[in-house]
Parts: sequence; structure tokens; C-alpha cells
Amino acid sequence: MLLTVWKLQQEAYGRAILRGVQSALVREVAAGAVYATLDRLEQKNLMESRLEAGTEARAGRPRRYYRLTAAGIRALNESKAALEQVWRGAEWPLESKT
Amino acid sequence: MTLPAPPGWLERLLILSLSARDRETISGDLLEEYREEQVPRRGSLRANVWYVRQSVSFLSTRSFGGPPMKAALTWMAVLTAAAGVWLIVMEHALKHAGYAGRMGIATFIVVESLATLLFVALGRRSILRGLVLVGAVTVGLLGVSAIKGILGARHFEGFVLLIGSALVAQSLLTIAVVVRARREKTL
Repeated sequence: MLLTVWKLQQEAYGRAILRGVQSALVREVAAGAVYATLDRLEQKNLMESRLEAGTEARAGRPRRYYRLTAAGIRALNESKAALEQVWRGAEWPLESKT
Repeated sequence: MTLPAPPGWLERLLILSLSARDRETISGDLLEEYREEQVPRRGSLRANVWYVRQSVSFLSTRSFGGPPMKAALTWMAVLTAAAGVWLIVMEHALKHAGYAGRMGIATFIVVESLATLLFVALGRRSILRGLVLVGAVTVGLLGVSAIKGILGARHFEGFVLLIGSALVAQSLLTIAVVVRARREKTL
């Protein structure tokens, strides 16, 4: 989720994030789950949001744009480092040893 | 030209399930996706089915198992733990036939309630989550059994109905909160 928001940069609003997560996971994701996660990440101060005016396609309803905070970027870097640490020493792609 | 829109009642239902902060933004996101992607790609009927699915996902991930339910579960677990302790004390004092078995059941209720409180406090711990879930189902069955028993008994005892109902409510609340914790973990 954090990576999707970071990748979208200035375009990271709810619908774009939902589509980004679906595209990354290659499956349809329930919108409720995505927005609940956004809420949680914002409560943890990993993200912050602001409102901007809506378009005609959304009946003028505002868009909520998200961006990572410094803590969010740090968390993303730490998660990447942890993943690399876990994979260290394993050659990709994995092959069966039998 | 009129832009396509999901049924009005459906949109109102979605808006009702959202917090005041998110009402405009989230319903706007879904309307935008409905108009620009779902209707052109799937047609109106299947786009409406998509909209229903998304709306239901808010009921299940936001209200269901959210902070209000956690608070209700906390209070319910405190109540059933207290009721369990009271039952243990009463059974021990009165020593009616079969009291040891009933004390065992009351002890189980106390332990399950305390484990539930610990789960709510600590959050997503997989081992605790599994234990609490199994305990919740057992406690729910105990509650149903107590309610059935007292409704068919000659002498109606209100406290049994009250404790039985509390156990069923605690069981349902626990399942809702555990399911939500599991969903949150998948993203």
C-alpha cells in the first residue's frame, strides 16, 4: 500500500490507489479493505492526506490525496531492507534440490 | 448527456455506512470508477453488481469489527468474566449436585473472557487469535445451550438467560473482531 502511494506521487487519491493495489496484486481487491488500510496508515502517521476539488465524473465530490510522511518513507525503506535480508544467500529463481 | 449512476438507494446505503469524514470522498471515488471504468467495460447490470460488492466491503471492514465493536467486546468480556467469577463463587458456596462440572464451565468462561481482553489489547497475535476464536465458538455454543435449557425449564431463572445471551453476543463480537484483524493483515 505504501509503495503504491509512493509510486503514484501527486496522483495518489483513493480510486487511483485502489486501482494501483489491484494492479500490483493482480486481483480485484475490496475497496473497503483498501480504505480501512489507508485510515490505519494515516493514524500511524505513515501517511497524510489533503482534500482537493472533485470532477464532474464524481458529481463534484472532493478527492482525498495521500502522500507518505518521513516516517512512511522510512517504514518503506525498512521493509525493503528486511525483505532483502531475508532473501540474502538464496539464488533467484529458486530451484528444487531433489 | 446524463452520466450513468448506480441506483440511488444503493448509493445512500453506502453513504450511511461511511464515516462523516469519508462520505464524500469515498462515494465520489466509487462513482468515478463506476462511470469511467465499470459501466464502459462491464455494462450497467454488472457494474451495479460491482457497486454492491464494494458497498458490502465497507460494511464488513469498517463498521463490522471496527473500534465500536472492539469497545463493545471489551465491555462484554468484562461482564462475562465477572459473571463467571460470580458463578464459581456461588457454586462453591452452595455445592448443589454436579457443582464441580459447572465450576469448570464457569472457569472456562473466565479464561476465555480474559484471553479475549488480552487479544483486544495486544492486537494481531496469530496464536492468541486462533485460541480466542476457538474459545469464542465454544462460549457461543455454551450460551445457546444455556438459553435453550432455561427456556424449556419449569423454573425460569433470569440470570441464566442474561448470562447465556451475553455469551452469545461475546462470541459474535469476537468472531467479527478476529475476522477484521485477519483482513487488515492481508493488505
